[in-house]
Amino acid sequence: MSFVPGLGIAKGMALTLRRFFAPKATIQYPETAPDVAVRFRGRLQLLYDELGNLKCETCFQCAQACPVECIDMGGFDTRGRFHVHWGAPEMYAERREESALRRTGRPVPDPAYTHFDPIDTAAVDGILEEYDFDPGQLPAILESIQRVHGYLPVAALKRVGQVTGAPYAPTYGMATYYRHLRFEKPGHTVAVCQCTSCLVAGSGRIAGTLARELGTEMGRGSAAGGVALEQLPSHVPGASSPLVTLDGKSQPVTAAGAAAWARALAGKGVA
Amino acid sequence: MRTSMTSVTAFVKSLPAGVLVRLSPAERLALIFSPLAIGGGVVTVLAIALLGPPFTDFLGANLPLVRFAVAASAILLMTVPTAFVLIYLELKVIARMNLRVGPNRIGPWGSAMSVVHGLKVLAKEDFAPTGADVTIFTLAPVVTYLASIMTLLVIPFAPGLIGQDLNIGLLYFFAVGGLTVVGLLMAGWSSFNKYSLLGGLRAAAQIISYEIPLTLSVVGVILLAGTMSTNRIVLAQSGSLLDWFVFRQPLAVLVFFIAATAEANRTPFDMTEADSEIVAGFATEYSGMRFGFFFFAEYVNVFIVSALAATLFFGGWTAPFNWPLAYDLNWFNPWSLGFFGWTAIVLAVLVIGTEFFAVIVRLFGGREWSAWDAMGLGFLIDLVLVVGILGLAGFIAFDWVHGIFWFMVKTYAFVFTFVWMRATLPRVRVDQLMGFAWKWLLPASLLNLFATATAVVLLNR
Repeated sequence: MSFVPGLGIAKGMALTLRRFFAPKATIQYPETAPDVAVRFRGRLQLLYDELGNLKCETCFQCAQACPVECIDMGGFDTRGRFHVHWGAPEMYAERREESALRRTGRPVPDPAYTHFDPIDTAAVDGILEEYDFDPGQLPAILESIQRVHGYLPVAALKRVGQVTGAPYAPTYGMATYYRHLRFEKPGHTVAVCQCTSCLVAGSGRIAGTLARELGTEMGRGSAAGGVALEQLPSHVPGASSPLVTLDGKSQPVTAAGAAAWARALAGKGVA
Repeated sequence: MRTSMTSVTAFVKSLPAGVLVRLSPAERLALIFSPLAIGGGVVTVLAIALLGPPFTDFLGANLPLVRFAVAASAILLMTVPTAFVLIYLELKVIARMNLRVGPNRIGPWGSAMSVVHGLKVLAKEDFAPTGADVTIFTLAPVVTYLASIMTLLVIPFAPGLIGQDLNIGLLYFFAVGGLTVVGLLMAGWSSFNKYSLLGGLRAAAQIISYEIPLTLSVVGVILLAGTMSTNRIVLAQSGSLLDWFVFRQPLAVLVFFIAATAEANRTPFDMTEADSEIVAGFATEYSGMRFGFFFFAEYVNVFIVSALAATLFFGGWTAPFNWPLAYDLNWFNPWSLGFFGWTAIVLAVLVIGTEFFAVIVRLFGGREWSAWDAMGLGFLIDLVLVVGILGLAGFIAFDWVHGIFWFMVKTYAFVFTFVWMRATLPRVRVDQLMGFAWKWLLPASLLNLFATATAVVLLNR
């Protein structure tokens, strides 16, 4: 290529001049709106990070936005504890995986998926009757269900959705938002009293030790190994301090022996 | 003002309830301000009719003073819309070259964009940093702006339309234009900011470096024309296309154009500002209308160097070819109509034309036009038509009108080229900038000067 001074400049100027007369790429948005269906929400796509992990956090926002409630997902929470996989029951029933596959075009890595167990819905129906089938009363309904079953069975949540018409995603969101609501049946419930005299006697240290040893934290709805650590609502009259209960029965736990007691409980409690 | 505002309020209150609510905003404005406009118009017409003759006598007795005052204020007033037009042109042209549409929301095709931009700048806080030398800080934009626009005094826009036909016009141009550097240095120094100071020095170094080849490239033209008066340089090129100095001084045109690009701080030599790479140089600490003056000065500079290029090398206001149509409009004596005759004609043309086009708009406008909107559009169409017809008549009848036409065509061709270059060329490095000025442009302009001088001596012997 021969070198002519200014040739590059001339070429560039010619290019910009051609562009000056070329048709413009701008689309005037409010005047020219794209022709999409009213209920269109965009194409579903699950993204993976550079390590190949699914980036979905199962936040259920897409499920909540979905007008036909056809989105479902599975996954573990940030602490690796829950396995969640549920969706709109009346839409796809047993074909959820298939529907997810069809929409994303990718395999959903969900080897640990297990179907939820059915329950006797009579108790749930009774609670709903009591609350007049009002979705506005969901927090109270969920608490009542947990009081009856000891946890929130998936089948109960689905029943709530079916009967009251409350969408599944907000119900699930509410159940995950409140720390005292849980999705797994705890094997044992350890409750530590936090009243003044118990705190003076060392229940704060006991609670910390138990949380560390049991691998959970105070007030968490459930725990790995099926042991839930809770705060006792009030001191039992006449009981000694510090007061620790296992499934409602008082236990002789001291601040020094809490770790050993917790290890013994874990060995006994984990099936 | 107070009384007029109260009368407006009273007028609004006298309207039947709910009228204002039913109207569109434009209609409301028109309804409120139309009495004011009509009243103002009547007062103006009466004032001109009663006070006009003695006033014109007074002006005629002091013609040189009046001439100077008119030229100075006309140039001062001319620069603002010029800067607006240039900014709009730049936004639009660069957008088109980027395959975008550019401003298109405010005004027809976005043409009011730069005006709104100017208003925004005007409304901003006028801020001086702590520790700044406030006097110099305030004066710097004034110096820069005045140094730019004072050069317009010697630009011949049309035959007879020149601020002052100095016999040292070009010398004046470069002397006053060189004052810009003083303004930039003042801005950089007084900002109390290292970056501003460095930016000011950088700008000064660049502009002074390019001032030399710029001035030297013009000397060839001075030799050929035998005068430094810009007006007589234009006259020396009158005739036809082939008499333009661009064909006798091609190297000078090239050097002049490149140096002028650097002088006006345009891409690829916009190192003084380099808005995408470094802080705004000497203008870092400036805000509001002080910054606006720097900004305006920059765009006025573009216009000025374009105008000078057109004047010196491309025949200024002379037509590129001899106009074959020479209609004689002298049979029409405008004074025979008298003042009231003219008023009647103007009103009749405006009113009838507006109504005519408003009816057409409402009938064939394509959508539902409210009466006020149709009237507004009809008025605009009428105005465009009248101005076009008057302009065409002026072009045919008056040599200064077609002088201005050709001058503006040539000047804006250069302005377009500047914008076009900005859309195309990447910025040069600062060492390349300096090296190019001293190693290439200066020798080239000297060579041109010697060649021209030799040619003049040989041919005139």
